[in-house]
Amino acid sequence: MAADVHNKAVPWETANGSLAPVERLRQDRCDSPTPGLVEGTEPGAGQDSHMFVHAQSFEDLTADGDDTRAEAAGSENTSRLGEPADEGAQGLPSEEEQVEEKESHPGSRAKEEDVTSEAWRRHRKHVFVLSEAGKPIYSRYGTEEALSSTMGVMMALVSFVEAEKNIIRSIHADGYKVVFLRKSPLVLVGVAQTLQSERDLSRELHYIYYQIISLLTLTQLNHIFQHKQNYDLRRLLAGSEHLTDNLLKLLDRDPGLLLSAVTCLPLSSSVRDVISSSLQAAKAKNLVFSILLAGSHLVTLVRKKDQYLHHMDLHLLFNLVGSSSSFREGEGWTPICLPKFNTAGFFHAHISYLEPGTDLCLILVSTDREDFFNLSDCKHRFLERLRRRTAYQALQEALKNPSYSVSQVGIPELRHFLYKSKSSGLYTSPEFPVPYQSEEEQERIMELYQYLHSRIHHPTRPLRFIYCCGESENLLAWVTSGFELYLCFSPLGTKALAVSAINKLLKWIRKEEDRLFILSPQTY
Amino acid sequence: MISPRMATGMQEKQYTPSLLNFFIYNPKFGPREGEEEKKILFYHPSDVEKNEKIRNVGLCEAIVQFTRTFCPSKPAKSLHTQKNRQFFFEPEENFWIVMVVRNPMVEKPNKEGKPPTIEYQEEEILDTVYGAVLQQCYSMYKLFNGTFARAMEAGGVELLTQKLEKFFYRYLQTLHLQSCDLLDVFGGISFFPLDKMTYLKIQSFVNRVEESLSLIKYTAFLYNDQLIWSGLEQDDMRILYKYLTTSLFPRHSEPELAGRDSPLRPEVAGNLLHYGRFLTGPSNLKDPEAKFRFPKIFVNTDDSYEELHLIVYKAMSAAVCFMISASEELGREFCEQLDGLVGPQLTLLASDICEQYNINRRVSGPDKEPQFKFIYFNHMNLAEKSTIHMRKTASVSLTSVHPDLMKILGDIHADFVRVDEDEEIIVKAMTDYWVVGKKSDQRELYVILNQKNANLIEVNEEVKRLCATQCIVTRHLNGYTQTLYLALIVSLLWNAII
Amino acid sequence: MSEEHYLELCDSPVQFENASSVNNVFFDEANKQVFAVRSGGATGVVVKGPDDKNSIAFRMEDKGEVKCIKFSYENKILAVQRSPKSVDFINFMPDLPHSEFSQECKTKNATVLGFCWTSWNEIVFITDQGVEFYQVLPDKRSLKLLKSHSINVNWYVYCPETSVILLSTTVQGNVLQPFAFKCGTMSKMSKFEIELPVVTKPAKIILSERDIAVATIYGQLYVMYLKHHSRTGNNPGAEVVLYHLQREGACKRSHILKLNTTGKFALNVVDNLVIVHHQSSQTSFMFDIKMKDTDSNLNIHQPVLPARSIHPYKIALTGPAAVGSQTPVPCELYSSTWSVFQPDIIISASEGYLWYLQVKLKPVVSLLQDKSKLMEFLLRRRDCKMVILSVCSQMLSRGDKGSLPVVAIVFDKLNQVYKEYLEAEQSYTMAVECGPSRGSTAHKRPVRTQAVIDQSDMYTHVLSLFTERKDVSHKFIIAVLMEYIRSLNQFQITVQHYLYELVIKTLVQHNLLYMLHQFLQYHVLSDSKPLACLLLSLESTYPPAHQLSLDMLKRLSTANDEIVEVLLSKQQVLGALRFIRSVGGHDNISARKFLDAARQTKDQMLFYTIFRFFEQRNQRLRGSPNFTPGEHCEEHVAYFKQAFGEQAFIKPVTL
Repeated sequence: MAADVHNKAVPWETANGSLAPVERLRQDRCDSPTPGLVEGTEPGAGQDSHMFVHAQSFEDLTADGDDTRAEAAGSENTSRLGEPADEGAQGLPSEEEQVEEKESHPGSRAKEEDVTSEAWRRHRKHVFVLSEAGKPIYSRYGTEEALSSTMGVMMALVSFVEAEKNIIRSIHADGYKVVFLRKSPLVLVGVAQTLQSERDLSRELHYIYYQIISLLTLTQLNHIFQHKQNYDLRRLLAGSEHLTDNLLKLLDRDPGLLLSAVTCLPLSSSVRDVISSSLQAAKAKNLVFSILLAGSHLVTLVRKKDQYLHHMDLHLLFNLVGSSSSFREGEGWTPICLPKFNTAGFFHAHISYLEPGTDLCLILVSTDREDFFNLSDCKHRFLERLRRRTAYQALQEALKNPSYSVSQVGIPELRHFLYKSKSSGLYTSPEFPVPYQSEEEQERIMELYQYLHSRIHHPTRPLRFIYCCGESENLLAWVTSGFELYLCFSPLGTKALAVSAINKLLKWIRKEEDRLFILSPQTY
Repeated sequence: MISPRMATGMQEKQYTPSLLNFFIYNPKFGPREGEEEKKILFYHPSDVEKNEKIRNVGLCEAIVQFTRTFCPSKPAKSLHTQKNRQFFFEPEENFWIVMVVRNPMVEKPNKEGKPPTIEYQEEEILDTVYGAVLQQCYSMYKLFNGTFARAMEAGGVELLTQKLEKFFYRYLQTLHLQSCDLLDVFGGISFFPLDKMTYLKIQSFVNRVEESLSLIKYTAFLYNDQLIWSGLEQDDMRILYKYLTTSLFPRHSEPELAGRDSPLRPEVAGNLLHYGRFLTGPSNLKDPEAKFRFPKIFVNTDDSYEELHLIVYKAMSAAVCFMISASEELGREFCEQLDGLVGPQLTLLASDICEQYNINRRVSGPDKEPQFKFIYFNHMNLAEKSTIHMRKTASVSLTSVHPDLMKILGDIHADFVRVDEDEEIIVKAMTDYWVVGKKSDQRELYVILNQKNANLIEVNEEVKRLCATQCIVTRHLNGYTQTLYLALIVSLLWNAII
Repeated sequence: MSEEHYLELCDSPVQFENASSVNNVFFDEANKQVFAVRSGGATGVVVKGPDDKNSIAFRMEDKGEVKCIKFSYENKILAVQRSPKSVDFINFMPDLPHSEFSQECKTKNATVLGFCWTSWNEIVFITDQGVEFYQVLPDKRSLKLLKSHSINVNWYVYCPETSVILLSTTVQGNVLQPFAFKCGTMSKMSKFEIELPVVTKPAKIILSERDIAVATIYGQLYVMYLKHHSRTGNNPGAEVVLYHLQREGACKRSHILKLNTTGKFALNVVDNLVIVHHQSSQTSFMFDIKMKDTDSNLNIHQPVLPARSIHPYKIALTGPAAVGSQTPVPCELYSSTWSVFQPDIIISASEGYLWYLQVKLKPVVSLLQDKSKLMEFLLRRRDCKMVILSVCSQMLSRGDKGSLPVVAIVFDKLNQVYKEYLEAEQSYTMAVECGPSRGSTAHKRPVRTQAVIDQSDMYTHVLSLFTERKDVSHKFIIAVLMEYIRSLNQFQITVQHYLYELVIKTLVQHNLLYMLHQFLQYHVLSDSKPLACLLLSLESTYPPAHQLSLDMLKRLSTANDEIVEVLLSKQQVLGALRFIRSVGGHDNISARKFLDAARQTKDQMLFYTIFRFFEQRNQRLRGSPNFTPGEHCEEHVAYFKQAFGEQAFIKPVTL
């Protein structure tokens, strides 16, 4: 049934979800990858059922009416998965958490800015969230109060256009664009000076939207505004802004959110299997997903049979963990809505670091609000089991260098790359090389990837292949039915080199795939 | 209107982009409540209900104002909505021109008489293209009417609105939005390939005429609708060229088709047969009723602001524009003098050029359909060349490639615009066409290769080869094309490849 | 008015003691020497050559009246005729006995009409019965007969330049027999008859030697016959008939010069112009046989210009003896005492002057309105250059209406001549390179006459000044420059860079940069490094110039280094590197230069890229990424390390 749920929720899943038998995949694996690599045979392709409801690209985020679908899904399966976030505060973050949140980030946001100053205008990307009443809900820079009039204008524009039975999409000027996203009862506006496309920005606004949903559920959000048209949502979201702030940072830096994929901690498959199986062993009745993270890298993920986790929901979880140090102090217990799974209901996540001072963080997601102690117990079972195995040392080792250098590939002109296996929804990418150490440089190169991504995935004029020689990099992007590949070369690299680099790189990834990818995900 | 091209399925209807509104306003006029209508200087279609006009203008003001909060110096240029796109342009301080273009759409009929569902294709319109079209509208207006400000000085709002009505009423009908593409962005000038000697002959022709008819201030010389010499400054020539090639020449093309030995009355000046005739002004000198009124144009509007008579005189395929200060009275006498002087010389020159041209053509050999098509544009001299467009006039742009490919060219161009550094972009479309875009030292080159299963290197080699061969062909050819193709090579081999 | 006189007497005449009872004066056309023989030589002989310096004075015994006296070439031997039968000789060569010796003419009872030297030791006696050609043997003090020919002779005319002697024969004397002498040989040329005007009573000599002159015009030998109008004749005036005398073949009538008047005439040839002096009117006509009168295809010529008198001339009152204290007095022109010699000599024996006649070109300019005629005329003159140039600048200074076509014609005429010279030069140099072509005559270098007006002449004397003029519209200036360039191109003469510079300078001055751009676009100004550099310098005023100049350098394909320099100076380090790689030069460029440039940009990323590139080059070329000391990149290596850290270097891989 749950399968139906997600099938309904994400109908395109059938397109790539129809899994070929493992054997066929095995024999299909060829060492020299051919351009036409079919999905499921590309390097990093999962050899078993997938971990995620994974997105081919961000279309699923921006495709209209997906939340209606989600809602439909929600209404249908709240009984089973995720409790209904019907009336009242029960769904809201519990007091102590809010307190804790507040303490954990005392004024972590230097928001007091003069919103008429050049400095404020110079920010590369503004994001505003407001209610349909034009009430400010969030602003990335500058206080909502200071911006309330601006947001008022935004709302005015939106509704003015709507009055003509039309929808406002974006405003374009030299050097920046303003993108509007209408997600009743919210309106999100992005103002960016980046090279990103309108749709790319809209994708990011969706993330912000779902981030908010993940705290409240859509049902509750609607409920609130039905009752009080000009309710000040900030009262409810107080203390959670840093989540959005952090998410925006991730959007600027983390290729995973761009590729709709997750990257794994490089680990020999044997070790990973041991970890997975011990995680698998530590199950509980209402446990749906167990996820082991190392920083932003996924170590492993075990899920209930037939339950799929959308990469976006996973990213939201990552964001939750990443943005608050609170979980280091002890086991956290928080309700969370996984909007891609069900915008109507809450799950409850047990979040804790395996040991103090380690990056290994375990997330156990349950459907039961009262499940804290069971899950706490699961964690300990898992930990004991794991401690007994040598794999644990191996894991500790691996933690020392969670990423790898591009030089391992052995192509001097190659500076960086992103490789995404479509079928597994996993990607791999080396650490940023020397000249890209600064944040600006990293965001710049991400921007270039975003540019390639939006060009190659253009809604009406998609491309198979892009090569562009610029002043600071040569870039290459190539999408087949099996994988997406983005390469960044020295601007003095030649085309011939680029072509040979592709093959060399694919060979290398094939060689390394069992370290870089999770080839055999586990289920309970 | 329905374009047959896209009419897929049985009843599905494809609508191409079309002009919804076109209006000009100045927010400083009618600042007070209730006076909003005063802001509107021109509105198309005129039959729109007053309040709607005011509302639409209001929205534009709001958008512009809103964007100033993020960058006071760079306000909005376009607004994207589901159904249409609006383009804003402020050619003169506080004067705003707004063009609203409806997105192309597909009408899918529904069963049992339900209203058909309409799908808007929001990604089909390219801002760069239509933004350029809008600016062109203004340039064209300015060419024939001068600036808004001058009109205001001369006769206040009344005069301005009159001028606007008079001009745009006709002009907007000639806008063919469905056939706009990259070439509109460049608004380039196609130069006629010519050998040095013939070019020098033309030079001395122009000089002699200007010497003996000292009224003439500027001269421009064209052959086969391509420019050879311009005495005007680049920007003025650019728009004048646009007018000549897309409006004036097409209107007079018919007799030309008849060619030299047509029954057309050859003028007899002195004892020399010639084929000169006026394209502007008197259609026939012999006619006692003949009118000697010439269109007026405005050039150098930023500094000297000159108003000129535009005399266009043509013999066979050679056309010359003589520009004379509007303060001069031009009558029959002058026209006859000009006709007598220019007619014979121009006729000879025209046949010289024609001869040269044919020689070159023979050298370059028979032009067969090549494996590639290209568009070339040089920002420095506005030189433009396209093997994609068979014919480009205001009304029709016959391109030999699929519109989606043209749009991809547009996308690549947009990328070039964003960064002012040199760049090269090579893409492979889903249709497996390769598209190469190269921007180097103020030049842009776009090549479309029809080599489905070539790889990057092969494509690159192909483009190199293409340039090489083209160049060998054109080596014997005249200076200009040589520079052109050399430019191609240079720009393509700029980054050393292997 | 004075600039009306287009003829003048040279201002440094040869002066000699004027003829008198005691002083006989002789003129030798061959050596252009004037002999003043006082009392038969006893009291001295003074010989004045064309230039006053080498005047020779000597004495000789008075052995009777001297009829004729001439030096052989280089004044080696003096020949004196005193008797009708014989000629006496005196050695003037050092270390040879100075004593006279004599030679009688061979033919019995013939009288010697005169003699002519044809070389330093060969002499021709002309007697009434023929010619005798001798070689003088000064050491033997005797003569040796080389050749002789007997024929009845009325009179003779000698043309020293060609050593051709014309003998007048037959009763009427109008059949002329030319002989040509050349180192010891005497060749008889085909005789010809001068058409006389209809005569009334024949059987007496009608053709007088005064009416015949021989001269070379435009390198051809002509016999000029001054044909007086016949009393009965229907033709109004006298005319000069030119007979073209060729070494082989018959001599034919080739030109007729119309004088349209009658009277006493004398002929000169100056600078290939036939000058006819008319005594009664005291004016001279000037004819140019190369000037075609459009209508007549048979070569009948009218005077080039209206007849004018020779420019007035002043002389010191009492000849040479006087110390020039007295105020000079005007000298009588066209005086009856004048004797005129070919080609251009006028002698006034009574006053003791020898003048060369000269043509003044300046007056011609004002007298000859038709510019194209004028140019043709001037281009054929000897000292024409400055005049032509002044004509050009003057023609331009009056930028009057419709002058452009004229300017064009003039330029074309100049370049026509210019081109012919260049071609001659070229074929000469080619011939020289190919070496002596199968023993044929050694190649002669073409002489560069003043008529060859090249680009630098035009530039320095006309155009550069012209473009400075403020009173002429820049439109006209540019038009003229383009006209000149057009003309040069038409004659396929490579245009010199400084002309382009002039065009560009003018265009820039008047801020007509778009015009300039178009010219370059059509390669009117052809490519060259200097031009490219000039364009570069314009970039600040006109940005497109940068592109133009880069393209030019690329087309030149020999300027890769310059291109790199330009790009580097524009901080386009990457572009420079990509370019040099595209032409395959990236293995020989200096890493230092590029790293310096990269550093200057302050662009870390760029520096990294460039540094990496060279590391890899080192790797490829030397198997190690490290720089050699010779490359002087230490500071950059240090900087790279400090900026990106040790680990950023490429690890040396040892294979």
